[in-house]
Parts: sequence; C-alpha cells; structure tokens
Amino acid sequence: MAGSNGVGLSESKMVVPLNMWVLISNFKLKYNLLRRPDGTFDRHLAEFLDRKVPANANPVDGIFSFDVIIDRTMNLLCRIYRPAFTEEPQPSLIDLEKPVDAEFVPVIVFFHGGSFAHSSANSAIYDTLCRRLVGICKAIVVSVNYRRAPENRYPCAYDDGWLALKWVSSRSWLQSKIDSKVHIFLAGDSSGGNIVHSVALRAAEAEIEVSGNILLNPMFGGEERTESEKKLDGKYFVGIRERDWYWRAFLPEGENRDHPACNPFGPRGKSLEGIKFPKSLVVVAGLDLIQDWQLAYAKGLEKAGQEVKLLFLEQATIGFYLLPNNNHFYTVMNEISSFVNPNGK
Amino acid sequence: MKREHHHLYPQTDPSTSASAAAGKSKMWDEDGCGGGGDDELLAVLGYKVRSSDMAEVAQKLEQLEEVMFSAQEDGLSHLASETVHYNPSDLSSWLESMLSEFNPLPPPPGGFGGGPLSVPVAAAPPRPQPVGDPFLPRAESSSITTVDFGADQRMQSSCGRSSQMNEPRPEIGSSGIVFDEESSSDYDLKAIPGKAVFGRAQAQAQAQTRTRLASTSSSSTSSSAVTAKRFKSSPSDAAVGAAPESSRPVVLVDSQENGVRLVHALMACADAVQQDNLSIAEALVKQIGFLAISQAGAMRKVATFFAEALARRIYRVYPQNPPLDHSLTDALQMHFYETCPYLKFAHFTANQAILEAFEGKSRVHVIDFSMNQGLQWPALMQALALRPGGPPTFRLTGIGPPAPDNSDRLQEVGWKLAQLAETIHVEFEYRGFVANSLADLDASILELRPSDAEAVAVNSVFELHKLLARPGAIEKVLGVVRQVRPAIVTVVEQEANHNGPVFVDRFNESLHYYSTLFDSLEGCASTQDKAMSEVYLGKQICNVVACEGADRVERHETLAQWRVRLGGAGFVPAHLGSNAFKQASMLLALFAGGDGYRVEENGGCLTLGWHTRPLIATSAWRLGGPSAGAAH
Repeated sequence: MAGSNGVGLSESKMVVPLNMWVLISNFKLKYNLLRRPDGTFDRHLAEFLDRKVPANANPVDGIFSFDVIIDRTMNLLCRIYRPAFTEEPQPSLIDLEKPVDAEFVPVIVFFHGGSFAHSSANSAIYDTLCRRLVGICKAIVVSVNYRRAPENRYPCAYDDGWLALKWVSSRSWLQSKIDSKVHIFLAGDSSGGNIVHSVALRAAEAEIEVSGNILLNPMFGGEERTESEKKLDGKYFVGIRERDWYWRAFLPEGENRDHPACNPFGPRGKSLEGIKFPKSLVVVAGLDLIQDWQLAYAKGLEKAGQEVKLLFLEQATIGFYLLPNNNHFYTVMNEISSFVNPNGK
Repeated sequence: MKREHHHLYPQTDPSTSASAAAGKSKMWDEDGCGGGGDDELLAVLGYKVRSSDMAEVAQKLEQLEEVMFSAQEDGLSHLASETVHYNPSDLSSWLESMLSEFNPLPPPPGGFGGGPLSVPVAAAPPRPQPVGDPFLPRAESSSITTVDFGADQRMQSSCGRSSQMNEPRPEIGSSGIVFDEESSSDYDLKAIPGKAVFGRAQAQAQAQTRTRLASTSSSSTSSSAVTAKRFKSSPSDAAVGAAPESSRPVVLVDSQENGVRLVHALMACADAVQQDNLSIAEALVKQIGFLAISQAGAMRKVATFFAEALARRIYRVYPQNPPLDHSLTDALQMHFYETCPYLKFAHFTANQAILEAFEGKSRVHVIDFSMNQGLQWPALMQALALRPGGPPTFRLTGIGPPAPDNSDRLQEVGWKLAQLAETIHVEFEYRGFVANSLADLDASILELRPSDAEAVAVNSVFELHKLLARPGAIEKVLGVVRQVRPAIVTVVEQEANHNGPVFVDRFNESLHYYSTLFDSLEGCASTQDKAMSEVYLGKQICNVVACEGADRVERHETLAQWRVRLGGAGFVPAHLGSNAFKQASMLLALFAGGDGYRVEENGGCLTLGWHTRPLIATSAWRLGGPSAGAAH
C-alpha cells in the first residue's frame, strides 16, 4: 500500500496505538484539505472541522476553566484552567479569579500547536491537554488564543504571547503566597514551542522573570535539508513540503527559513550568551522529521551557556502527548511536573 | 503512578472507569475500552468512533490517503471546496462521504432526469479566494439577492463577482453599519441560496451523501446523549428530556474592580432572595443601584436589568405576561433584529436547512411557530424563486398570539409577504392562526395536505422554550409536529440553561449569559437600535429572574437538553453542513463592530456565539423511523 512517497503507511501504524494513529491521521487529512497551493488557507472549513469545547466553570475531574478577554483592542482571549477549590464543590462565579491559596503555584502560560495556522485555545485537543497539565503539575494553566497564519504573520503570534505574559505577570491573584510573585513557566507544542522561545527572549530583554521554558516537539527549521528531514519525510504523518508551506505562511513574505524566527541558532540567529534566559526543557520525538532542528536548538542553548534538559523519546511520533495511552505521555508529563515544581512537590 | 492519573480519564459513569483503567494498562491495545462503546479517549477530543469500528475507520483513512494521492491537486481542492462536510465528529461517516466523492454512487432508480452522475472533476478548478475577503464569493457559489421589503418592492440580484459584492457598500464604515430605514433590509442576511438551488446533478450528489449520513445519524443521537451525560453531576431525572447539564461556559470580559463588586452584590442579593431574607435583599438591591452607576458599558446595563428584576421579585411587582403592547414588542424585536446578528443567523441557518429539505419538491409548506413580523420569509422566498426549474408553490402558515386590540397582525404580515411573492413570481398561499399557546394547536387546524403532495417544514425560533412553563405542553406540541409529518423541523434556541430548579443557579447562569450577550452589542454603532435591543433583552432577564410558574416563559435550555427532548419525541438530527457554516460565517464578517462573533459546528448543529461562548443554537430535525423515539 503506497503512501505519499511510496512508503508503506503501515510503518506509522506500528509505532502508535490504533486510536492515536486514527487521531493523527485524521488531523493530517484535515490539514491537507485546508492548505491551498497558492499559500492561502481555508479558514472557514478549518473552523468548521475543528472540534471545540466551551470553558466550564463547573469542575470536571477537579479542574475548572474560564475564558478571559485580556485585551479588548486586540481581541486577545486566554483560557484559564485551575484546580477546583477544596472548600466548595463548585466555585462561585465571582471566585474564578480568587487569589491562589498555596505557598507555591506554578503558572504555565501555554501556547497550543498547529504550525501557526491551526487550532485555538478552545480546541478540544488542547483543552484536554491543558486540563491534564493542571492535574499532573498542580499548576494553573493559561492557554493563549494567539492570532494565526497566514492571515496574521510573524510577529503577531509572538506579540500576542508577549501581551499574555505581561498580563499574567501582573495578576495579583496568581501570586504564590510564599513570595507574592507569579511563578511563570512558558510551555507550548509545535508552533507553541517556537513561540515560547521568542516570548522568553523578549521577557529576558524586558527583565520579566520567567522560571522556565517547556518546548514540546517545537517547530523550528532552516533552509538546509537535514538528515532527519530526508530520512523521515512522509513516513510518520508529516512531510517536508507541508512544513515548508507553514513557514511560508508564517514568515514575512519573501523571507526564507533562515529567518531567526524559524532558525534561532542559524546564520541569522542571535547569540544568547550572557542573556538571563530561563532554563529549558526540550522534548524531541525520535520519529519527528524536524528533530535535527530541535536538537540543534537544544545544542544552541547549551553552547550559549543556558540551562537545558533534552528529553529524546526514540519511538515517539508527533502528537504523542495528545493521548495518555502511551509511555511517552507519562514520561513527559512527569518531567514537566518536576520541572515546574522544583521543590519536589 | 497510574493510580494518580485516573482522573485524567473521562469518567462518564462508574461502570466505564474499570474499562478505562483496563484500557490504560493495555498500552498498545487497539480496543481501548472494549466492545461497542465509543472510544473514550477520542470522545474527549470531540470524535465519536466506536472502538469496534476503529480498524475500519483506520482503513478508510488509508484509502482516502491513497485516493487523494493519486487524484493529486484537483481531487484535493475539490474535496476542500466542493464537498459539503457534515458532522466531523462522526469520523466514520465523514470519511465515508469523502470516499464517495471519489467513488460516486450510480444514479438513483427512476432518475431525476438530471443525467448520470460523473466523477466530480473540477474542470475549471475554482480559483482560490484570498483569505479573509468575504466580499469575493467563489465562482461556483451562489448569488446574494437583496430585496427591499416595504414600500419599494424593487428587486436586485447580484451574482458571483458582481460589483455589488466586490465593493463595500458605502454604508459600511469601519465604525459599523449605519442602518437607515429605507435600505435597512439590504443588510438583512438574505438567504444565500447555496447548493440547494444548484444544478440537479450536483444537488443529487449531495442528496445522496446526506441520505447516507441520515441513516447513520441515530448513532449521533446516542452520542449526543453521551455528551450530555459527561457533564452531568447528578443522575438525570425521570422526566422526559429534562436532563440538566452541569456545564458553565464563562467568558469574563470585565474584570475591573467595580465589576467584581457588582457581580458580588448581585449574587448575594439573589442568594438573599432565595433564602427569603427580603430585608437584606432590599438593602443589596439599593447597593447594586449605586455600584451600577459607577460601571461602564455592558456591565452597567446588565446589572441594572438584573437589579430591576430582583426588585420586582422582592416587592412582588411582577411584569405583565403576556405583554399588553404587541406593537412595542414588535418594534423592540425589529431593533434587536437590526442591531446584532442573532436573529439573522437564526433565520439564515434555519432557511438553509429548509431549502435543502425542500430540494426537488414542487409544493412546499412552512409552518412558522414564531411568525412575529415574518422577517425570516422574504429570504426563503427569494431563494425558492431562484431555483433552477422555477420555484415551488409556497404555502405559509403563521402562528402567533392574539393582539389585544383585535387587529389582525398576522394577516397584515401575510399580506406583505403576498405582495413580495407576486413581485418575484412565487405562487403563494398564506394562513395566519392566532393561538395563546402553541399547545392549543391541533394538527387538524393546520389544514394539512397529503405529504406526498406537499413537503412541510416546521420552524420555531425562540418559541419552544416557552412551552416548558406548562406541564405537558412541549410533549403535546412535539406530538402535533409529528402528526404534521414534516420533511424538516428547524429549531433555534438560546444556548443556555435558564430553567434549572434552583433560583440562584438560574440567576447566575443568566447573569453570565446576558453579560456576554450585552457585551457583544457594545460594538454596535447606532445607540438607538442598541438601546431598544437592550430593552428587548431586558424583558427576557426580567422574566427569568422575577417570574415563576406559568408566567416564567423564558425557560431556555441547552442544545444538549433539546437533543434529548427531540430525540425522545421521535426526531432524528438533520445535519447542517460546512456550506451553511461558511456562508453564515461570511455574512457575519459583514457585520462590522462584531469582531468577536463566532459560528461553531456542534454535532450537526450550528451555534452563534460571542468569542468562545455559544449563545444561540440552530438545529434541524426530521422524523425518525418507527424504532426512533422509543419511550425515553
């Protein structure tokens, strides 16, 4: 059975549970329908097909959520996830922004993936992921509904991320009791991971403290074709041509993939030496065709003297963290939990 | 490690937790939760796939990938642009419908005379549209027609890329649409006739697709019930269709200091009212008045309405119900119609479903439970007039409440529509029926004709919830609808649960619902229209908060709840598709001052909301087979 480049489709089927294969393949199919060869995007069909869930101020499995318009002029919305309060089974609506009651609560500012073009903060896959993060890490999660490409190119997503970071850092109700500070971690998968890097950089320059970066299968690239891209092209749900499409859709017109947004440690990259950059947790899936770029990113941080932990999951494909029915999911979640709770909570 | 993660699994009910745990431990087990149930992990992500179907769904994905690969770009763009997609949650059907685009069915026996279906080839592949330009329709999309409804019966039509569509009309400024009386109807969301009025061959292809989808829709019904169950915090009551949801969508738009104190005071007051602490309640109501004045924008208005409603409840000065002054109600609704897109969306999406159901029928009959001023019907009539092969005979039965001055409003509306019909050459027949309540109707009154002679649509926009105020009423009305044997039933309702048994819960729900709704009005240009719309909504607020028993008619319930009611009454979903979604979205984009409006697809239904909060939901239904609607 021939796949998109003559390789058997059954390869990817052998490394993930069937329902995960169905989920990711479904997304692949969906995404194929939405990208047009001329670089435009069928936004209406995308919104129609995306499975969304509303926020829910009633706790489900001990977690409730609510949406906040954090900036009216930009129409920027965030979905906030919190553990339910122990005293009351259902938070009163005025208690949604009730001050945090614990000595230490990590606040994870989360940027969903979708290669800058797909998904939203209220997409079901990301709503679910964020809930899981809250439950496992005992954190508050703020999921940012950033503007997407190709309608909004670089640097819109970064600007929205920056706005969100500033908003979160100025919320007194998010302060940990131990030191009356908001302990912020930036996290994101795919394009979200890419946004994490840029927002952290901006934060460092503006001296807003970010306690750590979590990059899950972050989206990076470059002009060069790396070994992993050549070797894994089309084999595990992802191909080079679509990666190229998304970069063309996000980067400014006329730019190539060595633009620093795409290739932060490339020829046009900026040195991070001496910058007070947060510690980073970089998760790389061994069957992700852009892993060479992700590994290069981790290396780049290391060479610049920054603290970085690399978690390489050999047999993992993209999207492994969307379903909790594989070992990789638990490995990563536990790592993230330790990462944001450094005092061994 | 595994035990502490058990809460990550959707626990619909205890009996599934064991299988979920079992599924988790069998890491690579394909049959994650065993047997005939839906795969729970995918269900949480919005996809309904039976575990037992997983392998088959995987196979379809593979087939589709192969077929798309060999079909290359043309096939892909066709699937994206031509195909109408329905209910993407039902993966199996969705994939099947796309596969069938590549392997079309043979023409039906007896044919429609439209000639054999051929493999859909994008002979002239539609040029992709620049993203974000709603003024440029695609080459194959339908025309928008505008009709002046009123003194001037002039009709204009614009097709494809005509100048009327391309250039923004002068009235649309960046600050919002300015409506002047004469041309106000030009901005109504007239029906974009859509696929339903297109060439037979294409329409047939879709009818085929839809027929097949309809036969699997019973699975959608049951999975909708699953969705409802997921949010339930208590066992459902035995009453038909009354399962309340414990889901509270909240969008906080105003987290200013004063706003929070205001909400605090409102909720404390509601609490006091519920506890019958009327002196405290009274004090709080006064405090709210002061706090409200210091607020700006939507929150001030909402707080004022809620405070007034609370005051009425405290002092037992209840509003008149039914309202005496219908002309005022009419005017208020008209302003609401003009100010914001909710009613237009309701009409537009309902009309889409009706048009599709009336496909190929030569005599059609619409029974409108929500006649009011008949604002929904000019657009439908326009669309019918444009059908290739000519319009069907169109019969309209309008039902409305009696007017106190004995004026025959219903007849007046009918007369205006008749004038329109004449201009556009649609054979038109009209009957108006006055009824205090829909429950007073019997099928015999409606002068039905045999269903093979006439296709019937029953339409209800914001009316069904009123029946929940009297026991037995909704059941009776749904029974009558069944007797009518409609081809389609269109229902639009507020997407909220304002009918819970506990007053404080209703208060809180409606406070947040109307806060969101009022916030969406803030962007509107015309203060006159906006003010009237607010009064219109204020009356609803008053009813929800101040009234009880048979007087409390604004008993809004959610889509999930209506699904249970309608399913229990023997109806099955008729899905609204990506074409309706897209056209509704595009028309919304024309609504300046409303950047936050969002259309969402929900299991075959469409909702319109403000940002992430759905506020109204349109659903369409048809009669289930003999096995559907068994005793609930």
